[in-house]
Amino acid sequence: MSDTGENYTTFNSRTLVEIVGDVTDEALKATKIKQLLSVLAGRFFNWAGRKSLFTLHLGIKCCAIEMAASATPRFDGDRFGVLFRSSPRQSDVLLVNGPISKKFADPIVRLWEQMPEPKYCIAMGECAISGGPYYQSYNILEGVDTVIPVDVYIPGCPPRPEALIDGFGKLREKIIRIGGAPSTGRDGDKPIIVGDD
Amino acid sequence: MAEMWITMGPQHPMTHGLWTLRVKVDGETVTDTEAELGYIHRGVEKICESRDFTQITPYCDRLCYVSAMTWAHAYIMAAEDLLEAEVPERAEYIRLMAAEVQRLASHLMWLGAFGPDIGNLTLMTWCLRDREMFLDLLQELGGSRMHYNYPRVGGVKRDIPIGWANRLKAKVKLFENRINEYEMLLDESTIWLVRLQGVGYATAEDQINAGVTGPNIRAAGVNTDARWTNPYSVYDQVDWEPAVEKPTSIKGADCYDRYRVRMEEMRQSCRMLLDAIDKIPGGANTHYQPGDEMLITKAPTRAPEGATGFSTYECTRGVSNFYLQGGGDNRGKNPYRVSIRSPMFITIPYVAKTMIGYKVADIPAIMGSFDPCIGETDR
Amino acid sequence: MGTTITKEQNSYAANAAAQNLSARFSDAGITVEIIAHNAGKRFEFVRIICSPEQWRAVAKHLKNELGVNHCAMVTGTHYPEGGDRGWEVAYHMHRWPITDVEAHTMIVHSGESLEGDDIPMEFEIFINLPPGDSPAVPSVQDLWVGADWNEKETWDLVGIDFEGHENMHRVLNPHDSPVGFHPLQRQHKIRYHDFNEMYDDPQGFGRKPVDEGRVK
Repeated sequence: MSDTGENYTTFNSRTLVEIVGDVTDEALKATKIKQLLSVLAGRFFNWAGRKSLFTLHLGIKCCAIEMAASATPRFDGDRFGVLFRSSPRQSDVLLVNGPISKKFADPIVRLWEQMPEPKYCIAMGECAISGGPYYQSYNILEGVDTVIPVDVYIPGCPPRPEALIDGFGKLREKIIRIGGAPSTGRDGDKPIIVGDD
Repeated sequence: MAEMWITMGPQHPMTHGLWTLRVKVDGETVTDTEAELGYIHRGVEKICESRDFTQITPYCDRLCYVSAMTWAHAYIMAAEDLLEAEVPERAEYIRLMAAEVQRLASHLMWLGAFGPDIGNLTLMTWCLRDREMFLDLLQELGGSRMHYNYPRVGGVKRDIPIGWANRLKAKVKLFENRINEYEMLLDESTIWLVRLQGVGYATAEDQINAGVTGPNIRAAGVNTDARWTNPYSVYDQVDWEPAVEKPTSIKGADCYDRYRVRMEEMRQSCRMLLDAIDKIPGGANTHYQPGDEMLITKAPTRAPEGATGFSTYECTRGVSNFYLQGGGDNRGKNPYRVSIRSPMFITIPYVAKTMIGYKVADIPAIMGSFDPCIGETDR
Repeated sequence: MGTTITKEQNSYAANAAAQNLSARFSDAGITVEIIAHNAGKRFEFVRIICSPEQWRAVAKHLKNELGVNHCAMVTGTHYPEGGDRGWEVAYHMHRWPITDVEAHTMIVHSGESLEGDDIPMEFEIFINLPPGDSPAVPSVQDLWVGADWNEKETWDLVGIDFEGHENMHRVLNPHDSPVGFHPLQRQHKIRYHDFNEMYDDPQGFGRKPVDEGRVK
């Protein structure tokens, strides 16, 4: 069956799509509609992305309990669009809420790589920022930013749920600035520390 | 059909923490399991060898983070055994009340995580909402919602604030009605009953040989509780009984029994708290300054080489032990060895073997009913 | 509650257990003592000091004759300057009155009415090992299932071999840790163990914040 598929020429669906695509692309570029559409679409996707930050359902240690508490009726993170997803393939934000041990360094990098762009990382709590009270331990990395690029740091041990929600607010401000820039090109960007102002 | 190994990997919405459960399935039936722990092994025992006795208390808070007050109390009891310190009676009552409020908060967190495993997401919002009531009380004592650093060698850090006892009484009375609401929601729900009954049998002798203790054993019909078998603090002066459940089968207790035992334990904790408020020496509405002799006695800060201290404590998930040896660095101010026994470290491999023979869908029910907390497992 | 274990019951049980053990083992050179806790209710427990070769016999006696049913913890300690005692393995055990029950029944023990071998008791067993590089103790994995993972953890962290232990593997450290790496041995130091290292600022704590001087 596969070699008879090669016998289709001009009316093969893939070739047809490419030809139509190229023609339309040239037309849109010439009339500058493409530029307008990309600006509008970019603004729209930026708005949609920052208003619905799907966070990975990952609970490492104590800060995970505060993360769960921030989803409960008293603090209610859901009104800000923060929803927890079980699969890394369907989430935008990796919220690291505990110390990263040597055993877990590989899985967390794998989780980060499985998340599709645009993706953001929030380091919540002292253990994720710098190793926390376990900075002297033989088994804990000194901060998750040794393996993953971090966008927002939320200090506290554990940070209150209000601080976590504020951290998501700071992440939204950052998304307005950097939009959908890929996560590898953000090294020169200054990290935001909650509570800094 | 071929059997295959499935990894319920470290990141999993059900596993209540960071560990891997490798499950060998034949169709839908579980034929073998393997548990892998150690993803948050922090080396607390090694770090504590370079810390003062008072500096170790925050580390013990962070062992089992949903029941921090009980773990700090367990460690402080072992430190007092090592350093030969007395504790005034008012401080014992305050520690008892803090531990029982923490037990309520911990069981609510368990129920709030167990409900969604079975499919009942309402429970998460209800339980965590009620848990906030008790976290506010503990915040008045310790300063933070979760890690309090509250007991000290020889007593407690500060007294209960004025009005704390009235707030506690009001909240406990409100909560006793709430437990009835939870039971109304769950015990009349067919899905809850069908998913929990007949699943995850475990007998008492099997469990104690494997080292499983706490509410899991009491669900199998024996009322062993370290608060009366190895008595400590003032539990013999407050009015309470260990919560026991009759197992539904000769094969042992199932998940439904373990759930019922924890609901009953919450009722007993409420009863203990209301009684302790009446019996506290010095009255519940007086406030002594920090450092007063009613709250803390001067304790030695050094332990000589060769001294040991050992405590047996009923934590929310089982019996935890601390074993300290004196004579460490800093001329004896640091312990030479701190050894921590966590009930969950032994329970999780046991539960992994209990799951054999049931369906894959029963795994969250069995796992959640034993109440795992990985913080204390990987010290 | 009023029905806790009383001091008299505890003393009686400690004496009975100590006499039973001394009668059986004292001519083998095993020390049996009754020690009281130094704080709290000051209850007594039984401390046994034996050598690694005698440990299996003591363990079987504890389980079968004295009814010890809970192996609580296994602790290994390294004494590089301990003289004769290079390593110590401490077993802590409990005896509790626990039996299987029929369906739909329960046993409610009332503390004061327990007698004889039903009275709960704590046992502490110290096994002193000579200094050297390969401390070894026979395993009790077949007597108490609870000793299984405790022994794995002790080998993983301290490096004490348990002879006869099936399926020994790393439990807390990563599986690819170097062979022979047992972090709780005293020659391994924690990071920044010497505080001066911390003040020498290897992590850059003294660096200025990136937005210093910026108008906010």
